[in-house]
Amino acid sequence: MVIVVGTALAFDFTNGFHDTANVVATSISTGAARPRVAIGLASLLNFVGAFISISVAATVANDVVDPSVITPTIVFAGLIGAIAWNLITWWFGLPSSSSHALIGGVVGSAVAAVGIEAIIADGLVGKVLIPAIVAPVLALLVAGLSIGIAYRMIGRQRPGAVTRGFRYGQVISGGLLALAHGTNDAQKTMGVITLALIANGTLGANADPPLWVIVSAATAIALGTYIGGWRIIRTTGSRIIKMDAAQGFSAQGAGAAVILASTHFGFPLSTTHVINGGVIGAGAGKRVSAVRWGVAGNIVVAWLLTLPAAAAIGAAAYALTHVFGSGALGPVLVTLASLGLIVAIFARRAQQGAPVPAG
Amino acid sequence: MATIVQTKELLETVIASLIAGVGATAVFSLAIWGGARFVDLSRDGRTLAAGAAAALSALALAVTLAAVVVGIVVMTSK
Repeated sequence: MVIVVGTALAFDFTNGFHDTANVVATSISTGAARPRVAIGLASLLNFVGAFISISVAATVANDVVDPSVITPTIVFAGLIGAIAWNLITWWFGLPSSSSHALIGGVVGSAVAAVGIEAIIADGLVGKVLIPAIVAPVLALLVAGLSIGIAYRMIGRQRPGAVTRGFRYGQVISGGLLALAHGTNDAQKTMGVITLALIANGTLGANADPPLWVIVSAATAIALGTYIGGWRIIRTTGSRIIKMDAAQGFSAQGAGAAVILASTHFGFPLSTTHVINGGVIGAGAGKRVSAVRWGVAGNIVVAWLLTLPAAAAIGAAAYALTHVFGSGALGPVLVTLASLGLIVAIFARRAQQGAPVPAG
Repeated sequence: MATIVQTKELLETVIASLIAGVGATAVFSLAIWGGARFVDLSRDGRTLAAGAAAALSALALAVTLAAVVVGIVVMTSK
């Protein structure tokens, strides 16, 4: 159980540094905030956001996988799948959804454990696949319309004053996004840990996350956010489009509006899909050719691959863990092997130097 | 199919996102426009027009901040 909780917090940490880009990339690239200040603020607001609400904490596995089949080993293997996919996409600087990686990992390990009947098909389609299409398209539309209106209104004003104004606005819209991100994403880890505790018999059925789970999940995502994922920040902030402050504000404003509207009406959307859709919309709203469609295409491919790839890794992790029985030996060995692999890859990369470009 | 897709929630999300996202950017752009006009008009000595621009800017800024507060309330009430 300790290993499962540790792995869940490790996932939360990767979620923080992987998704930092969603919140701060546009603020940094337009000069609205210095990188350390933007990341520090995002980190603090992610921490606060994790405490705001716990109402969706158990929905991750409840809605897409039959909760009665969940065991701590399934959760563990699912988390390994999610962490692995987060690290792979981070490596290539691709902003993929950590939520989808988590769902894919848990679905894959559950299928490997009990078969296809473990999946709740309606939940997977209605709460994961449809929102995955809606989120970026809606954000793109909102940001595209927003920037069109903004340019019409401020087009003839002095650029200096306009840029300063939108930079101030970005501090607010970025803060709102960070808060929304903390509220959404930290809860997913809380939900997974709570499920594992229920599956282990530590908590009763339908129990709320204990305080130590909330505090540790909030701390892990805030730490991950503070350390930051610079590769993904570069992709979202300057590789998709070269953005000005008005575009940055429109992208963040669209992102915050879409996330808050979806939260209010109970239609869950990925923050990663929303903000990247917003960035593309803010670019295309100015000029379609302003968007580097090759980079955008790479991101979409990563989104399409996230669920199946994380599921495949989750299933493999479950199979490997299961070889050593149902005790703690399997998770311990898989954790050690995963850590060894990560250290080896990072050490090799450090020797080679330059990062791999996103497109 | 309707229960799987949650059509009602989807439509509500789309409409609310469009109104909130486009509305907030338009109102904040108005605040910036008013601020920029205030500086220009003050420099030209047109005090009355500059005052009107400043008032419009302040009002638009207040509406933007109100929208942020509504956003935080939405988050905390879920």
